[in-house]
Amino acid sequence: MCNTCGCDHDHQHDSSGTRVVDVNQSLLKTNEEAAARNKQLFDEKGILAINLISSPGSGKTTLLEKTIEALKDQVSMAVLEGDIETDLDAERIRAKGVPAVQLTTGGACHLESALVSAGFHNLEHQLDGRKLDVLFIENVGNLVCPSFFDLGEHRRVVLISVPEGHDKPLKYPKAIRTSQVMVITKADLIPHFDFSVEKMKTDALSLNPSLHIMVTSAKTGEGMEEWFDFLQRHRKE
Amino acid sequence: MRSSSSWTRKRTVHEVSIALAMVDELMRIAAENGAKKITKVSLKIGRLSGIVTDSLVFAFDAIKQEHPLLSSADISIHEIPLIYQCEDCMNRFEAREIHFPSCPACTSVNLKILSGEEQHIENVELEV
Ligand SMILES: Nc1nc2c(ncn2[C@@H]2O[C@H](COP(=O)(O)OP(=O)(O)O)[C@@H](O)[C@H]2O)c(=O)[nH]1
Ligand SMILES: [Mg+2]
Ligand SMILES: [Zn+2]
Repeated sequence: MCNTCGCDHDHQHDSSGTRVVDVNQSLLKTNEEAAARNKQLFDEKGILAINLISSPGSGKTTLLEKTIEALKDQVSMAVLEGDIETDLDAERIRAKGVPAVQLTTGGACHLESALVSAGFHNLEHQLDGRKLDVLFIENVGNLVCPSFFDLGEHRRVVLISVPEGHDKPLKYPKAIRTSQVMVITKADLIPHFDFSVEKMKTDALSLNPSLHIMVTSAKTGEGMEEWFDFLQRHRKE
Repeated sequence: MRSSSSWTRKRTVHEVSIALAMVDELMRIAAENGAKKITKVSLKIGRLSGIVTDSLVFAFDAIKQEHPLLSSADISIHEIPLIYQCEDCMNRFEAREIHFPSCPACTSVNLKILSGEEQHIENVELEV
């Protein structure tokens, strides 16, 4: 305790009325605390929460649509859809028969935990007591900021599509380092691009040796079984 | 010398998101301490944090103008090197690249990060 002012912090006083307070906290403390609360809530409810991050158009919503088509009868799923504007993606998910809540950030290029918490609360009303196995959180299309903002997810999945090029892991190292899974999407387009799956895998693993990498095409179905298996294996008992 | 185009690119990117979050934290810290003003902010930014420090300062200096409590706050940044410890031979070493290394002494990849992930507010100087 500080003897001069009686407060709880460690700090020095000087004559000019200024003092230094040692805070030693994260720049993103408020979000990190909210993320921890989200995670605890998901754990209590036995929900596997997955945060999907990618550039705009990499195929996040399409992957979710195909996942819902394939697993709807075995796995209870719901989606929080992050976007800067519009609820078009939430509409796409609802059209597949799964509850979805649109989170519009009103300009921000990433989701934060407080917004996810509010969205999840709203989703629970729609679920009306039904148990959820997997909660997907589709982040705003952006490969930088979302990698700084934990949402309380159990797994962060980064998608990179073939047309974006195999150099993307080295250009977005934080996204690769903070994710547990990388899904290379639109593999059906490989013949049309100068794209090396091997190069991309090597670069990604050089940043994050434990990254689980999958190569998929939502269009042809290639590699989708591995993604479905991953979800089935990681959902809570 | 950097070309002006590279500065432009660096300065318009994503550190704005972090600067905005930092402003919220500073406003809270100011309120908790009954401060009239924040005059200095010291940050610890690790090599592996992914934060471009010039961009963060640039973004903060732009945003702080909207907040009388922060408008005269100067940022100083303490850059923290990326240090690993090898869990097999206990060798400690600095990595300059962000690629996951192997131990230069024994080639093990069983490594622990000792520092370099920091994205912290170390302390703030307040006027009360
Ligand atoms: N060829 C091909 N196109 C795809 C694939 N997956 C998604 N797309 C297309 O990519 C575009 C963007 O997809 P979307 O799911 O909306 O991306 P999001 O912005 O990440 O949600 C749409 O036109 C999709 O039809 C795929 O596996 N192969
Ligand atoms: Mg989408
Ligand atoms: Zn060693």
